[in-house]
Amino acid sequence: MTYRALNFTKRNLKEMSRDSLSYIFCVAFPIVMLVIMSIVNSSIPKESGMTIFRIDNLAGGIAVFGQTFVMLFAALNVTKDRSGSFLVRLFASPMKSGDFTAGYILPMLIVAFVQVVISFAAAKVTALVTGTELEIAGLAFAAFAVLPSALMFTSIGFIFGTLFNEKSAPGLCSIIISLGSFLGGIWFDVDRTGGAMEKICRCTPFYYATKVARAAIHLDLGKETFLFPMLIVLGTAAVMTFLACFVFGKRMRADLS
Amino acid sequence: MENVIVTNGLTKCYKEKTAVDNLSIAIPEGKLVALLGVNGAGKTTTIRMLSCLSKPTRGTAEVYGHDVIKEPDAVKRLVGISTQDTAVAENLTVRENLEFMAGIYLEKDRIAAAVETAIDAFSLREYEKKPAKTLSGGWKRKLSIAMAIIGEPKVLFLDEPTLGLDVLARRELWREIEGLKDRMSIILTTHYMEEAEALADRIFVMINGRVAAEGTLDELEEMTGKKGLEEVFVDIAERGTR
Ligand SMILES: Nc1ncnc2c1ncn2[C@@H]1O[C@H](COP(=O)(O)OP(=O)(O)OP(=O)(O)O)[C@@H](O)[C@H]1O
Ligand SMILES: [Mg+2]
Repeated sequence: MTYRALNFTKRNLKEMSRDSLSYIFCVAFPIVMLVIMSIVNSSIPKESGMTIFRIDNLAGGIAVFGQTFVMLFAALNVTKDRSGSFLVRLFASPMKSGDFTAGYILPMLIVAFVQVVISFAAAKVTALVTGTELEIAGLAFAAFAVLPSALMFTSIGFIFGTLFNEKSAPGLCSIIISLGSFLGGIWFDVDRTGGAMEKICRCTPFYYATKVARAAIHLDLGKETFLFPMLIVLGTAAVMTFLACFVFGKRMRADLS
Repeated sequence: MENVIVTNGLTKCYKEKTAVDNLSIAIPEGKLVALLGVNGAGKTTTIRMLSCLSKPTRGTAEVYGHDVIKEPDAVKRLVGISTQDTAVAENLTVRENLEFMAGIYLEKDRIAAAVETAIDAFSLREYEKKPAKTLSGGWKRKLSIAMAIIGEPKVLFLDEPTLGLDVLARRELWREIEGLKDRMSIILTTHYMEEAEALADRIFVMINGRVAAEGTLDELEEMTGKKGLEEVFVDIAERGTR
């Protein structure tokens, strides 16, 4: 990583740490979601056998759901810079497109990490309160295991923020948030659904991201439940990051023409 | 004397508009040059091409012998730009903005000293801990200019630096710009004739993307037979568009 990329990363981190939106996304949001869903869970009768909202499953789902909002945040940050003259000034400086991409994506990964740590801490508290089993080792492992999907979502947000303006980028992100959380199986158990619905879900990377998070929390490293989904998430993250670099470089050249 | 900038047939065409038309100029080193012209004359477009922000449609431009198309990296290191709109990171403080810009251009061990110099040069000391978004328009502009010089450019482009400044702030900024003259060559655009009169060693008047007249104030006065830059400018502009 170049010194210029690091310099830009620092600027973006500072900029975000002074934006109240960061705290809503990182702290308030995951906790509120956990509490609401745990209340929902407490009103589901035990006999139904529905465990998707039980805290050990819910925590993984919320981790991925939170990342979809990191995606929105990433898009907002880029569109905000693009709408003023600040980026123009940087385009006239010796900064390269790789410096920009790294400087935008890295801070979001840090935000995503903080978010997941806070979510899991809240989950542990919820588990203690409700008397459900939730191992700290699983949570700690999962906090790192979900980083590839954080990269995937950040890159998607970065791409939207690069291609669209501050009006349309958030709209497009909300589509991904709704679609991703639904097809990802955050709110229902895809594997027990079957049929066309399950097939569609299995075609999205979001399904695998959720699977990775849930399996990691259970310290389940099975081929089908963890390794295979992880490979898909890693692959998608790599492709999205590459695409993000490409799209930004192209956009930069177009703005300079 | 060396020329900092040499352009040859420099042209920029947008879809139906030729913004800069066959511009061939040479700007001598160590001077402050004013680019004058009515709205839409092509001043900003010229500056954008010279600072690698816009690709020329035709022609060439060199900054210290480096071609803006073939060697953008070399040009970018030599050039500082303060755009027509202020360009600052809103959530960062004045000092952090300066440190950030210094970090792009300078070696690590030179950043601190450069920041102090810039803060002093633009009297920003009182505001150094304030977030940029809380500054008034005039102070934001000063910060924006300070950010343009912190990388120690050899050529500085100032696009309407005193737009929206009150009389006192403008006078002060003139003094500050004056103070930069022995460190870098400056190309400045303005709509205030007294500003060009006060600061410029040499004046270019652009009309419809072309240079209609060029020279010192005295030379331009002699050429048009008018007194004062305002009369001179009106004369050239009216003749050029008629
Ligand atoms: N991106 C663009 N697309 C199309 N036309 C453009 C673009 N940028 C500038 N122009 C046109 O080029 C011409 C020159 O514009 P430019 O901004 O260089 O003028 P200017 O001399 O800086 O004017 P002002 O004093 O108002 O700042 C204008 O007619 C403008 O409409
Ligand atoms: Mg202009």
